[in-house]
Amino acid sequence: MREFLKSTKFKVLLAFLAFLVGVMIFAVTKGGYSLSGASVINTLTAPFRSASNGISMKMEHTLDKIKRADDIYDENQRLKAQIGELNKQLTDYDALKAECDELRKFVSIKEGHEDYILSQPCKVLSYIANDPFRSFTINKGSAEGIEPYCPVVTAEGLIGITIEVSEHVTTVRTILSPDLSVAVQCSSSGADKGIVEGNILSAESGNTKLTHLSTNNHLREGDLMITTGSSGLFPKDYAVGTVKDIQIDSNGLSSCAEIEPCIDITRLTSVIVITDFSGKREESDED
Amino acid sequence: MRIKTTREQRILYIKTVARWVMYYIIILASFVIMTSGTWLKPVLLVPAALCVSLGSGQYSSAVTGAVCGFLTDIACGRLFGYNAVLLTFFCVISSLLFELYLRRKFINYFLITAAVSFIQCGLDYKFYYQMWKYEHVSRIFSRYTLRIWIYTMISSVFVYILYKITDRFLMPKTHLTIEEAIKTN
Repeated sequence: MREFLKSTKFKVLLAFLAFLVGVMIFAVTKGGYSLSGASVINTLTAPFRSASNGISMKMEHTLDKIKRADDIYDENQRLKAQIGELNKQLTDYDALKAECDELRKFVSIKEGHEDYILSQPCKVLSYIANDPFRSFTINKGSAEGIEPYCPVVTAEGLIGITIEVSEHVTTVRTILSPDLSVAVQCSSSGADKGIVEGNILSAESGNTKLTHLSTNNHLREGDLMITTGSSGLFPKDYAVGTVKDIQIDSNGLSSCAEIEPCIDITRLTSVIVITDFSGKREESDED
Repeated sequence: MRIKTTREQRILYIKTVARWVMYYIIILASFVIMTSGTWLKPVLLVPAALCVSLGSGQYSSAVTGAVCGFLTDIACGRLFGYNAVLLTFFCVISSLLFELYLRRKFINYFLITAAVSFIQCGLDYKFYYQMWKYEHVSRIFSRYTLRIWIYTMISSVFVYILYKITDRFLMPKTHLTIEEAIKTN
């Protein structure tokens, strides 16, 4: 031992140790930055370390999987159940959001027209099978105050009229039907009046027809047509649809136009019935 | 005629009830299909009613025809009872034809369904569109009536298969098999 302590080997090792201590103290003074040597080493070894780390991680992972198979299985089942629950909540949320949006629209009808007495929102039960004019049934009827010949609307515009009412189901005839005529006028000018009446050709593309229009009309494509309310069947100033294509009628005496309803009548999910409004024609008025 | 035991009678009763329940489940399913969606659909209740009349007596055919007719009226938004009258009439006629003149073969059923369905679709077109002289009314015939008739014809094959499966398991046997005859003797 004494020989070793006296040997050059010991002195060299001691010097090396002192050097390392010096390096260490120098590293402390760098305030968190690595020394250039360390940096070189880090850079050079980085790919190898990364590869080895990847391998070891994979091995550990595999071993861990084998070791913790039961735990992982349980965790997987728990997470699956959690995802199912979250998906269900998401679906409920979406349904509620859609319902909320729909109700908000219906509230806007009431806000804009205080004289309207509205039914509760009605769900479309089903479309009448094979009807070219897209009549449909709704899930509210006379028990909810709906009567025959009440206007059926959405916040976007007029849909049609109730034609057959039972206690909890009502059949609605749409504005695509040739059996329903609605007096309309252009919303921007207040002039250019005509009759919106369904047509077999127009109904095929989900549109309706504006007839009895003066040949000197000033209608342009995109003009909004609104109800005149003159018949007493429909409230005044309710949107019906926009003008798509103006032509001279086959009789040559008047013009006609293709009208695109404000909402796609072939894809309705819910509507509202206006059970009363100012200017409504009562049965006694007819007599 | 073979005298049935109490157990055989009970089985016969249960099978008959189950068969009719199945018939009406098929009818209800046809109605549900007819009232769903916005596409053109076959009038499934016509082949369904005719299928029942194929193996049943006139009374039961008439009742089934009426039920199917009422359901068709609801599904198609027609005057309540209009199709009921038509289908009751055609089901009774069909039942009589199968009892007196025709064998219970698929081809006979198919031809009768084709004829009845065509009459039903044609009358529907006549009374609900052509009579009111709508503009371009012939388009309804070519684009709706004929297509619905063709769809009904195609769907009648599937309806027939469903009824045949029901009958295969639940229809009481009208004749003794050779084995049964040997056992009875």
